[in-house]
Amino acid sequence: MADATLLNAVLFLPVLGIGLLLLVPARAEGAIRWMTFWVMSMQLVLTALLYMHYDAATAGLQFETRIPWIPAWGVYYQIGLDGYNILLVLLTAFLGPLVVAGAFTAITKDVKLFYAMVFLIQFAMLGTFVAQDLFVFYLFWETMLIPMFLIIGIWGGERRIYATLKFVLYTAFGSILMLAAVIYLVFALQATTGVRSFAFADLQHAQLPLSVQLVLLSAFGLSFAIKVPIVPLHTWLPDAHVEAPTAGSVILAGVLLKMGTYGFMKLGFPLFPDATRYLSPLIMTLAVVSIIYGACLALVQDDIKKIIAYSSISHLGYVMLGLISLDLIGIQGAIIQMVSHGLTAAGLFLMVGMIYERCHTRELSAYGGLAKILPVYSVFFMILTLASIGLPTTSGFTGEFLVLLGAFKAAWPLHLHGNTYPLVMSASAVLGVVLGALYMLRFAQSFLFGVAKVPHDPVTDLNLREKLILAAIVAAVFALGLYPNEPMRKTELAAKEFQQRVSAVPIPGSAR
Amino acid sequence: MNWQAVLVALAPENVLLAGIIVLIGVEIFAQRTRGALPISLGTVAAAVAAAALLASNGYVGTPFPDHFSVAPAWSLAKAVVLALALPVLLLSRDDFSEDGQFHILVLSSLYGFCLLLSADSFLTLFLGLELMALPVYVLVLLAFKRPESPEAALKYLVLGGTATAMFLMGVSLLYGGSGTLAISAFTAGLRSADTMATAGVTLILMAFFLKGAIVPFHAWAPDAYEGASIPVTAYMATIVKAGVLLAALRLFGTEVVSRPTDDLLAFLPLVSIVWGNLAAMRQQSFRRMIAYSSIAHAGYLFYAFLGDGPGRFQAVVFYLLAYGFMNLLAFASLPAGDDDATRDRLDNLKGLFQRNPYAALMIGMAMLSLAGIPPFPGFVAKFLIFRNVMTAGYTAYAVLGLVGSYLGIYFYLRVIQFMFMSAPAPETSPHASRRLALGASVICLVTAMLVTIFPGWVIGFF
Repeated sequence: MADATLLNAVLFLPVLGIGLLLLVPARAEGAIRWMTFWVMSMQLVLTALLYMHYDAATAGLQFETRIPWIPAWGVYYQIGLDGYNILLVLLTAFLGPLVVAGAFTAITKDVKLFYAMVFLIQFAMLGTFVAQDLFVFYLFWETMLIPMFLIIGIWGGERRIYATLKFVLYTAFGSILMLAAVIYLVFALQATTGVRSFAFADLQHAQLPLSVQLVLLSAFGLSFAIKVPIVPLHTWLPDAHVEAPTAGSVILAGVLLKMGTYGFMKLGFPLFPDATRYLSPLIMTLAVVSIIYGACLALVQDDIKKIIAYSSISHLGYVMLGLISLDLIGIQGAIIQMVSHGLTAAGLFLMVGMIYERCHTRELSAYGGLAKILPVYSVFFMILTLASIGLPTTSGFTGEFLVLLGAFKAAWPLHLHGNTYPLVMSASAVLGVVLGALYMLRFAQSFLFGVAKVPHDPVTDLNLREKLILAAIVAAVFALGLYPNEPMRKTELAAKEFQQRVSAVPIPGSAR
Repeated sequence: MNWQAVLVALAPENVLLAGIIVLIGVEIFAQRTRGALPISLGTVAAAVAAAALLASNGYVGTPFPDHFSVAPAWSLAKAVVLALALPVLLLSRDDFSEDGQFHILVLSSLYGFCLLLSADSFLTLFLGLELMALPVYVLVLLAFKRPESPEAALKYLVLGGTATAMFLMGVSLLYGGSGTLAISAFTAGLRSADTMATAGVTLILMAFFLKGAIVPFHAWAPDAYEGASIPVTAYMATIVKAGVLLAALRLFGTEVVSRPTDDLLAFLPLVSIVWGNLAAMRQQSFRRMIAYSSIAHAGYLFYAFLGDGPGRFQAVVFYLLAYGFMNLLAFASLPAGDDDATRDRLDNLKGLFQRNPYAALMIGMAMLSLAGIPPFPGFVAKFLIFRNVMTAGYTAYAVLGLVGSYLGIYFYLRVIQFMFMSAPAPETSPHASRRLALGASVICLVTAMLVTIFPGWVIGFF
């Protein structure tokens, strides 16, 4: 089918890119940069085509490929688009060319290896999203580690080795337990149903008692929770963000963190619905703690990268809250919030990178009154700040508002039945919105307004390349804020399926 | 005796024997120092082809009943491990400059290895084990450029001798009880409750643990690996290890291990995985690090014995294939240094990516594969082993083993950190061309790619 070929082309374009890079001599840095940029742009165009041809009215996989890969184990190379991953694939492809263009002047060492690693991580991220077979998913999931390890470790700041090892050792620990759970899950599927398969669709049929579900969800959940990250597993994130080069931070915040929430949405919760419902008070509490704790920490940072890093923890807490609300609106909001955070955090990290390239410091106290010195920069910065706070008309509003709406909608009937806890949690999550406004406005206030000071004179305003990058992100932020209906239509069926799957009546034999 | 059957069934062994005789002849009469490498390469290639042909034709035969038999699966295993010798021979050029002795010893050891994989009696098994090990004691000494070499060789010889003694003791106990030298006495001993049989089985198992460097019998490995020259270390880490494991596999057959052997089989390898990975973190010498890494890998390999018969064979052979070629890829890509000691220092790898991007990428890939990080072959191999362990019902051991393997990630990444993220060490003087080592790395790379992209196809063979 021609459609399936298109998705494969999108997935393997980065591999082709690496192949092309091998042909270019390492000294031709300009050629390397532009070639990477055009390959990434082509990928975006093809992904946009996929998005437009994606039929919102059909449930299940579209553009599906299914080829036997390791027949003896029942492993298939199976990829496809569905409501769960369509927006995230688009987000990944959208950020690709921007990351590349954003690194044009920032990366001057080992340029060829850098862009090869960007291609590799793009390949791994897209593969993780589109994989529909647990074995293939795990392969891509782990492959993401290697390029990120090198990107932070080679092109990062002073404490890059410490940061990158911390990142890898944290994530790998989660992954190894997930691997044990994967093996056990597949074995359990075969033992209970006689089907030897790794396909997501088949794994949902495994008949697991609650006790086993709890152990497996903990193993999968630990791996996903480290990636999200959920407090208290977040300590690698500030280090990784601060030490990573701009492009690394953008990939990390823009796409990589969504792997965790996507994992919960696509695998963790639907595969172990009973355990999910059983643990939902705990998951909800951790989500709200992440929202508030992340916001509080963001409030007291002096490193501008750290402010955005901690704000990421807070914003992804909303995603978790929306997913665990098990309310259709909340789930939809969680998906939008993932994309929205991908856009605003990527934009803010790019802007931090731009000012860092000019002034070589990330200390908030070193800056002030940039609105007078860098007017264009300040306008973009203000828009992204407001989008991050969740001002109406921006994507941040759509995401956070829907999540909170869904959380309250799910909590109210429970409250009427005497369970007030979810309502208390939802109400506490609103506090995060207030804190969010507080830390971002404090940041913007001392950064953009007040007495003008920059650590490095003279500072030039944004050039055309930087303006175009930011304009693209801002346009997407507004598009998602003003017209969220269109993307939400494409995710609606998946959200419904997720809701039905997780909140279904418990299977016999697994009563609490 | 059917001479035709002996010729055909022993084709790989015969080819090796012919090669050894030719090499000795050349050594005695031609008095040349060159030309040994092509002969031994050709011999090993022909032996690989012979074993592969036997396997693909499904040849089954017992030229020496009760002592020596040929079966397709084992012929394939022979072909796989003999193929590992090709890169080893290629990368020996720099250290042994086509020294005839080296090649004669390697071929003899390979002959012993082939005997192991056809052994039906303890006699053949013993012959194979000794023939495989004895040349290696000499090979360790051959480096001799460094003071550590004789010490390492002696240590290896003494402990290897101890293993042999334990093995013989165990065999005699089993023989005393059962009155037969057939290796099936071992599995019978596993099932039997008789104290003498249990003692015999345990002694034999310990001998294999010693030869395979399982904690607490591992102490010789770091010294022997470090004392030997690079091609010999590579040979010990891959082919000798493979020989020991496959011989143990042959002893166990398709027997499902039960209590209390299963705990013994799981516990010591688990300790090896943890200890090997922990000890490797602190090493400054590449060969010592590989030695500790190989202790951990021996742990994974013995873990596979917890699984059922056919799955066990598949897991071990596939693991040896992935582990062997990736290890050799690292050895073949080691950068040149002023002398052997410099080459061995991990510091010498600092900034390697700046000096030689290809070598750095190859070593990096080998390290990631040994660490078991996807998509490299080491991952599929590890997955196969742990899947079998879990399917056999040893969930706790599987989880503990996986956590143990997590400990190893750090030191493999440390090598990558040295190569890509550290400032280059003071420039070492350019060394003679290492074109043959490059060829060795290409062989390993191609195999690795094949296994990475078509794991299902490769597993299908075993």
